[in-house]
Amino acid sequence: MKNLKKSFIVVLLLFWCGVAVYGWHLTREDAGSSSLKNVVVGYQAGDEFYVSKIRGQFVKKMKAKGYNVKFKEFQNGAAMMQALASGNVDYARVGDTPPVSALASGTKLTYVAAGGTKAKGSGILIHKNSSIKTLADLKGKKVAYTKGTSSQYMLLRALKVAGLSNDDITWVNLDSDAASVAYSKGKVDAWANWDPSVAQVEITENSKLLVDGTTTKALNRSFIVSPTTYASKNKTLSKLIIKYTEQDMKWANKNHSKLIKKMSADLKLSKKVVRRSITRRTFSMSSMSKSVVKEEQEIANVFYDNNILTKKINVSKHVQYLK
Amino acid sequence: MENIETNENYHFSLKLKNSLPWLIPVFLIAFWQVACNLSWVNETLLPSPIDVVTNGIKLFKKGELQENMSISLYRATAGLLIGGGLGFVLGFINGVSHTTRLLFDSTIQMLRNIPHLALIPLIILWLGIGESAKISLVALGCLFPMYINTYHGITSVDPKLIEMGKSYELSKKDLFVKVIFPGALPTILMGVRYALGVMWTTLIVAETISASSGIGYMSTNAEQFMDMKTIVLCILIYALLGKSSDFIAKNLEDIFLEWRAIERRDTNGSEASGDK
Amino acid sequence: MAQKLLEINKVGKSYGDSVILSNANLVINEGEFIALVGMSGGGKSTLLRMLAGLEETSAGSIIQEGNKIHGLNKEARVMFQEDRLLPWMNVTDNVLLDKKGKQAVAEAAQLLEQVGLSQYSTKIPTQLSGGQRQRVALARALMSHPRLLLLDEPLGALDALTRTKMQELIRKVCQDKAITTFLVTHDINEAVRMADRIAVIKNGTIWRIVENPYRGKESLGDKEKEVEISEEILAEILE
Ligand SMILES: Nc1ncnc2c1ncn2[C@@H]1O[C@H](COP(=O)(O)OP(=O)(O)OP(=O)(O)O)[C@@H](O)[C@H]1O
Ligand SMILES: [Mg+2]
Repeated sequence: MKNLKKSFIVVLLLFWCGVAVYGWHLTREDAGSSSLKNVVVGYQAGDEFYVSKIRGQFVKKMKAKGYNVKFKEFQNGAAMMQALASGNVDYARVGDTPPVSALASGTKLTYVAAGGTKAKGSGILIHKNSSIKTLADLKGKKVAYTKGTSSQYMLLRALKVAGLSNDDITWVNLDSDAASVAYSKGKVDAWANWDPSVAQVEITENSKLLVDGTTTKALNRSFIVSPTTYASKNKTLSKLIIKYTEQDMKWANKNHSKLIKKMSADLKLSKKVVRRSITRRTFSMSSMSKSVVKEEQEIANVFYDNNILTKKINVSKHVQYLK
Repeated sequence: MENIETNENYHFSLKLKNSLPWLIPVFLIAFWQVACNLSWVNETLLPSPIDVVTNGIKLFKKGELQENMSISLYRATAGLLIGGGLGFVLGFINGVSHTTRLLFDSTIQMLRNIPHLALIPLIILWLGIGESAKISLVALGCLFPMYINTYHGITSVDPKLIEMGKSYELSKKDLFVKVIFPGALPTILMGVRYALGVMWTTLIVAETISASSGIGYMSTNAEQFMDMKTIVLCILIYALLGKSSDFIAKNLEDIFLEWRAIERRDTNGSEASGDK
Repeated sequence: MAQKLLEINKVGKSYGDSVILSNANLVINEGEFIALVGMSGGGKSTLLRMLAGLEETSAGSIIQEGNKIHGLNKEARVMFQEDRLLPWMNVTDNVLLDKKGKQAVAEAAQLLEQVGLSQYSTKIPTQLSGGQRQRVALARALMSHPRLLLLDEPLGALDALTRTKMQELIRKVCQDKAITTFLVTHDINEAVRMADRIAVIKNGTIWRIVENPYRGKESLGDKEKEVEISEEILAEILE
């Protein structure tokens, strides 16, 4: 009996060690071979780099050019900017507000490329039976947003378009999980948000967008940013990344069904939701242009004017125009 | 005749005793399932146990579950071995040497009072977000309970036994192996048990720092999309892992501290007979 | 006649300001059984510990075969008031301690037989009675072949019957092996029953040494002498 117990514990410990060693191998697998130069790419589920990752061509093409690409997933833009600041990510795909905030807090980053927008999937969500019919109806209502993210910018822009002042609504700062609960329970009247969450809420909560980015000019564009010192040393690499992701974006636009299937599995969202969010956006990736810099500058200005940023940012000083 | 009956009674009560700890969990799960079936709770906020289990099976078939579990187990084990090992060595050195005790102990006591999770930003900036950051965080969490218990265990070994060992001319090594270490072992194993607990709680947090694998990642990823089944599954897995590591620790105690078990059994026996 | 093993020479001991012993003199001869009696707190254990080298003298010296004792006395083994057995080891391992090899194991078994504990060799200390534990401690002390056996009230915690049995056992073993024995006890009868000479500690010094030619003798006349000596010593201590 006692010996039985002993051998049982020994077996259990051996099993434990075996599993742990297996886990170690799993974490080593993506460490890659050493002769190639490692490039760490940060992404969030569903974004442009995500497309490149699931298509698989990007890694192969980069390998052929002598680069070993490591994808690192992040839960939000702020975390990615933190990793970028500490040099743990070489290229990061982010939305349009995190880099502005990061610049203001002193992170030395450079805009390398600009992607498409999610203008049609970003805006202010309301229940279909809501009393809010026009932007002006927002007056006196409670609106959920997340501080420092695109949703804050959207809301600021929407108020401007509607000709309302910032004090005309009640601002309810919630992270996305809390906001989702608050919205479905009716604790807030509207919710500034973006895809795929918007598509999800539209379908499951019988909701619609009161206004989207095409009207507010809060476009919710994607960017690829890189640590400034890294970017200035790796221009050829940056060009390669733009070139290959651009090819992947073209593929994505033509292969919606494959993308939807994979994304709905990875994001654990229904195909219907993913389809809606995919069909209303166009994937693209290209080097920076004056017009997108102007868009970013506008965000920086608005955030500064509303005391969200404590520093004035000149975006054009942090841009590489790669041709 | 009577004898057999009492014997059976005894066996029955033994069975009852063994199953007693499981009574409440089983009851709770059953209640939870019933509550879900009768729609007392909103399924989107709390899925039923059966849903959670089928979701687990689905993830297992995809290979996701066991991969994330093994990665988590690897991080936990590596952190425990590094942190626990370091804590043991430091505790041991400070336990036996007065000079290093004076040199290090108060510093360690000072550092101990910093909640190790407060160091996350520093660890990210120093070590990045790779495996080393997560493992270091777990190691940091395991270091202090191991240090305190080893140190305390070694310094509180009966000085009379140590004097006996010295007067019987035991070499330094033998004195440690035969007297000090076994004397400190009960406290050290308590430290191991405590470190195991800290290990899991730290790991959950560590894996929410930009992980792309592990149970903590599965859970935060699911949280983003309000995938309650996976969230609850992860919680259950943590409970299971925590329970099984505690089980191992407890049995290690039983195996290594058999002499104490005998002692306890003796006193228990006399108490029981005193009752009647 | 007998060879001198050890000489306590004007030994003093003080802790800070409190003087425990001063100018204590005693010669211990090879192979003799000597007992030390005195009031509680009189410094008996302190003297024994100095003989074992567990405590340094504050004044004077203890000379063993021409060498001043400094540090551990390797010729001596102590049996403490508490058995000080290691609770995590079985009886045999407790007797062996750091000694290894077939021969050592055989010797340990033989010693255990001698103290009547053969069938307990695989038990652990908590499974033994107080008297049995002290017998293990005796076997452990004998295992190192000491020339000097230092006993610090090893039987203090035992009941009267076990005590008498142990007294006989110790006496016999020490005689058989010709081990010089120094017994500290507060029980004068025990001292008279066991020792060839009895040293009385009083007023912080060795006050008197009583020869005891009647030790262990069976005839009634000698028994009476024993009682006589006991009473004489007791009177002296209490005086
Ligand atoms: N380490 C120490 N520091 C200070 N005083 C001490 C120390 N050890 C012993 N003493 C004191 O020395 C005196 C003698 O102690 P010792 O243990 O030798 O007495 P004893 O004769 O063995 O008494 P008993 O019969 O009660 O065992 C006591 O008053 C005790 O308080
Ligand atoms: Mg004493």
